[in-house]
Amino acid sequence: MLELHRLTKHFGGVRAVDGVDLIVNPGEVLGLIGPNGSGKSTTVNLICGLFPLTSGLIMFKGEDISALPPHERVTRGIARTFQNIRLFGQLTVWQNLWVAQNSAEQRRQNPVRRWFGGGGSAREDIGRTLEFFDLAHKRDELAGNLAFGEQRRLEFARAFAAKPVLLLLDEPAAGMNAEEIDQLDARIRTLRDTGMAILLIEHHVELVMSVADRIAVLNFGQKIAEGSPAEVQNNPLVREAYLGTATAA
Amino acid sequence: MDEYLVGVLSNVGVISFVALSAYLLLLTGEITFGQQAFFAIGAYAAGIATAMWGWTLAAGLGFGALAGALSATIVGVPTLRLHGLYFAIATLAFAEMVRILFEMFRYQIEIDGEWVGPNGADGFRDIRYIFENDISGMEFMLIIYGLLTVILAGFMLLERSRLGVIFRMIGEDEVLAGLQGVSVARYRILAAAIAGALAGIGGGLYAHLTTYIEPRIFDVMLGVHSLAYGLIGGLGTALGPILGVLIDIGLLESIRALSGYRMIIFGGLVALLLIVRPRGLLDERLVHRIGVALRGGRKMRV
Repeated sequence: MLELHRLTKHFGGVRAVDGVDLIVNPGEVLGLIGPNGSGKSTTVNLICGLFPLTSGLIMFKGEDISALPPHERVTRGIARTFQNIRLFGQLTVWQNLWVAQNSAEQRRQNPVRRWFGGGGSAREDIGRTLEFFDLAHKRDELAGNLAFGEQRRLEFARAFAAKPVLLLLDEPAAGMNAEEIDQLDARIRTLRDTGMAILLIEHHVELVMSVADRIAVLNFGQKIAEGSPAEVQNNPLVREAYLGTATAA
Repeated sequence: MDEYLVGVLSNVGVISFVALSAYLLLLTGEITFGQQAFFAIGAYAAGIATAMWGWTLAAGLGFGALAGALSATIVGVPTLRLHGLYFAIATLAFAEMVRILFEMFRYQIEIDGEWVGPNGADGFRDIRYIFENDISGMEFMLIIYGLLTVILAGFMLLERSRLGVIFRMIGEDEVLAGLQGVSVARYRILAAAIAGALAGIGGGLYAHLTTYIEPRIFDVMLGVHSLAYGLIGGLGTALGPILGVLIDIGLLESIRALSGYRMIIFGGLVALLLIVRPRGLLDERLVHRIGVALRGGRKMRV
């Protein structure tokens, strides 16, 4: 599904991402972890095209998308959420989802319906999305007026509405309480079971260990480990990255 | 209705077009000091069409709108890559260039022994279509407001449409808009073209209302005011900029006791509102609340 080959991004002298190889398969949750500043968010930003690569290659569904602008990557099936919530606060919950909605769904509509509120099937689709994310009662509220937990759900819902085949989640559990994290865990599993490929960046260790099928670890822009949650947990390099070396202490 | 009031209301109507033009660009997050350029281009184009080529008023206004849209597209392609302050300065520079070009623009033909047409800094006299066709001031005012109503209806449709939502998305966070699959550059240019057409129609009406235009009318103050109307009246609805025009031209400029203090009150109002209500009197939140209240009963079912 998604293959990163020697992905590299330098900001001046800083090697934010330095030769990372990664593969995300359909129906799989790949956890991407690492200390602060290890290049996780930069990796996600590169995948969705927010800035150009220094070198390397991004292959998606067998096609090189490294040079495509962000909006064309979205239409090919890549959607994301942000670490710090980004919503259109002056628009309603419904409007936030409407434009994000997968364009394939929309193109089946005739132009008048497409541009003025969407036809029955598009509306029903948004309705189901709102139900799944427990936001149906907030449909006509301005996104900026929602509570924090609701905003997080709306962000997730908006990424989901795009019907992505690859979903990039950048710290979706940040600021959530235990109950909300359980719901998040369940939603991620549901989506994975539909065959979606999910790249999950997360600091919340329990969530990653629970939901990820595989985990890759970044440190100083390089991949230092990859494997099942248990393998990664016992990897000495990973322990060193997080805790420092025993001799240095 | 007395003649003075007709004059004031006609003015309010005409300036509303250029205010709506700046408002549309504000929606997409662009601050422009240059919409007076398209107002000028529309005024000259429509004036030339009716006074020199003998076109009808409708055709002249259409020509003005087209000229505005075309020139806005041509200017928009390079300048819309710029953002914030840089875009604002580029629009200002362009508008001043247009004004100075009109000061050098001479194109006159002889009609019935008189020379008609733009004559550089001396302006363009005798755009006499409404006199020649016996249209009264009152009737012309109705023409202005008829057109304005059509445009406002278009804006109301826009606000409910996907296009309106996309414009607002780009205005709020263009990177995020791109990540919803929106081709930001294309929609920006579309917005600029529509805004150019609106200013062009306004200019065409203005030329026929006053029968006389000259380059110095289209100076930067007109652009600054056009921008300020949306910021005062509010960015939540197209009625916002019109409210701004009513406050400025309808009250401050037209009531004699106030007119001496117009710029002081207007400037103070802008400063005050930027502090207490940065998105204007009729801002998105207020408009949303009014919308919910109006549809109240229906909403309760959900």
